[in-house]
Amino acid sequence: MKKSALIFGYNDFSLQIAKNISSKYKNITIFKFDRDRERKDLVDYNIESFDLGDEWSELKEKHDIENSIVFSVLEDDAENVFLTISLRAEFEKLHIIALSSNKESANKLLMAGANKVIPLVQTTATMIVEMLDKPRARDVLHNILYEKSNLKVAQIEIAKNSPFEGEHPFEIEWSKKYGVIVLSIIQDNSESEFIYSKKAKHHKIKEGDMFVVVGYQTDIKNFERVIGGSECQ
Amino acid sequence: MLKKLFVNSAYFLSTSHSYQTTKKFFFNLLEEDSYRYKKYFDFFMITLIVVSVIILIEEVKTPIDNYLLYFNNYFISLFFLIEYFLRLWVNGNASKIVIEQDEYDSMLSREFNFSVAIKKIFKEKLKYILSLRAIIDLLAIIPFFHQLRLLRVFILFRVFKLFRYARSVQTFTSIFITKKFEFLTLFIFASIIIFVASVLIYMMEANHTESSIQTFYDALYWSVVTISTVGYGDITPVSNEGRFVAMIVIVSGIAVLAFTTSLVVSGFNEKLEEIRETRDIDSINKLKAFYIVCGYESISQEVVKQLSRNNQIIILDENPAHIEQARKDGFRALNYDPGIIQSYHKLHINIDKQVKAILCLKENDVENVYTALTVRSFNKNVYILSLLMHDTNRKKLTFAGVNEILYTKELIGLIAKEFVGKPVAFEVIHSLRSEHSAISIEEVIITPRIAQNFPTVELLESAKYRVVLLGIYKHTTKHFFFNPIDITLVEEGDYLLIIGNKAFIQEYEAHLHTKRVKK
Repeated sequence: MKKSALIFGYNDFSLQIAKNISSKYKNITIFKFDRDRERKDLVDYNIESFDLGDEWSELKEKHDIENSIVFSVLEDDAENVFLTISLRAEFEKLHIIALSSNKESANKLLMAGANKVIPLVQTTATMIVEMLDKPRARDVLHNILYEKSNLKVAQIEIAKNSPFEGEHPFEIEWSKKYGVIVLSIIQDNSESEFIYSKKAKHHKIKEGDMFVVVGYQTDIKNFERVIGGSECQ
Repeated sequence: MLKKLFVNSAYFLSTSHSYQTTKKFFFNLLEEDSYRYKKYFDFFMITLIVVSVIILIEEVKTPIDNYLLYFNNYFISLFFLIEYFLRLWVNGNASKIVIEQDEYDSMLSREFNFSVAIKKIFKEKLKYILSLRAIIDLLAIIPFFHQLRLLRVFILFRVFKLFRYARSVQTFTSIFITKKFEFLTLFIFASIIIFVASVLIYMMEANHTESSIQTFYDALYWSVVTISTVGYGDITPVSNEGRFVAMIVIVSGIAVLAFTTSLVVSGFNEKLEEIRETRDIDSINKLKAFYIVCGYESISQEVVKQLSRNNQIIILDENPAHIEQARKDGFRALNYDPGIIQSYHKLHINIDKQVKAILCLKENDVENVYTALTVRSFNKNVYILSLLMHDTNRKKLTFAGVNEILYTKELIGLIAKEFVGKPVAFEVIHSLRSEHSAISIEEVIITPRIAQNFPTVELLESAKYRVVLLGIYKHTTKHFFFNPIDITLVEEGDYLLIIGNKAFIQEYEAHLHTKRVKK
């Protein structure tokens, strides 16, 4: 887990992100342009100034970049892309999460080197549609994400000499036996495959595989013991 | 005494539920286009008219059965007569006039003025009687007195009655009405040309022995046929002077024709928006359940795009450019301001029954608050969802009666938290939500048939269909049971939450809905 968070942008998004991640990061720094007007609601955070033309030497000196996560949430898409590309050019391994107004700029941000992009319009629209179309599914997913119930999603690695090695994962009744639902499998560090997908069907369980499971905290712990693996974050 | 009885009956009628309901029923049946049963009534009347005209045509050359004549002259006329009186009754409100007069007089401490009230009622009814439609209706009844053979021609007025029942004809008439001034100018211009040309051609040709124009009527007929560019050729000028007049009339005819065509076309263009709107409202009336989306900006465009896959949507926006865009995108959109009550009234819909939810998706809190408040001012129950752009306005939206608020910036904050805290859960859930992913989560409602065929979870056999049953939402307890045990009951109204490939989920749903023969 990274130790500090650097949020570029001095706006409502920065405030909400800072509020929500404050329990997970010791140091949160918000970067503002000189032109930004002072905000009272952000005074509790560490504020620093920056400019898109910076060479980041000051940033390198002041912050432990290797152990930082960056949120690029400037309101102008072009500035956001420029910021992301300049940070990526300077810091190859930096973890950058960027906000984009739509899908088009999301692609540009990914090309600029962002690790994760949140397209604002699409994300909001999806949430609204889910609220209206699948209110129950939305509640369940919401509860899992925000830990409002004991249900959670976990990623469990298969250890050496697991009793299930060599078996087909879809053939085992995990839910009946262990109370957890195995959703997908990640093999050989590739992308996760849904348990009933064609690709997953031909694979046999082996050491190093990852299971993505949904279940109650206690059942997941028991399952870990049985499968001989450990939960990874 | 008589006055008192008169006033009392007016009060009685205006408060009588059965009288008002009956009047309302007939008003809807005769005048209200959006009324469900009006079209059946219209169809019945059109049939009567067509039958009547067919009998008239048949009668011209062949003697027809007395029964048919009796049917045509009495039965059909009787229907038209009843219709005429019903229309006379429902147009205007006599009891209201009497009550208003009585209240006015008692306010001024005067005795009820009977003659003024009667005059007002008479004036109101006369206004209706003298309207073009009412006159045509009346003339169509006249063949009732078939003894007057000359009056038989009035049956033709029954054809004009069709104007009442066919909306497209009404649209066409309304074009003529809006372009009244232009048509009048054209008519006067054409009349002058025709008159002058008739006089001239008569003067030039009447004394010519070879000419077919011998009377002024011939000259008038020739002018009309020529100016309309029809030119039968049965009458042609023979003198050089006459031919010169013909040339002038022909050139004027082209101008008249071009002017008429352009008038009708421009009239249609102006009415086009109105015609489209009427058509849209008609189709909206027929929808059983739909969402009303207020505003068509970036977020709402995306919401409409996603929501329209499984739902019907109506977009309201006062900005014509947004509406044009929505229509280009293939959605039903009306250029109505969602912040005005009138906009919802114009739709002629039952909000409680037809509208699933109203979505205030403008990217401006002031407008969303205003829209929500407008809706709440005439409907307390409809579900309202609104976007919130600035957190300081949250209370205002709640106060305006919004049921669910979505604050985009908070959403981004929560997503950021999940992403850094629990990347696995985030990615898995994100992929279920994403429209581009092949795997999704779906809700399947338990219908009576499913409940009958699959009374317990064990029989659902989700794994056989390669889908994952995440859990069951019990409608009785409003509780979600994750990974339910085999003996859990599946009851009508419950929801299954299924995860899987979209195609497999569809197949699974089809399997659940298939009728089974009980062994």
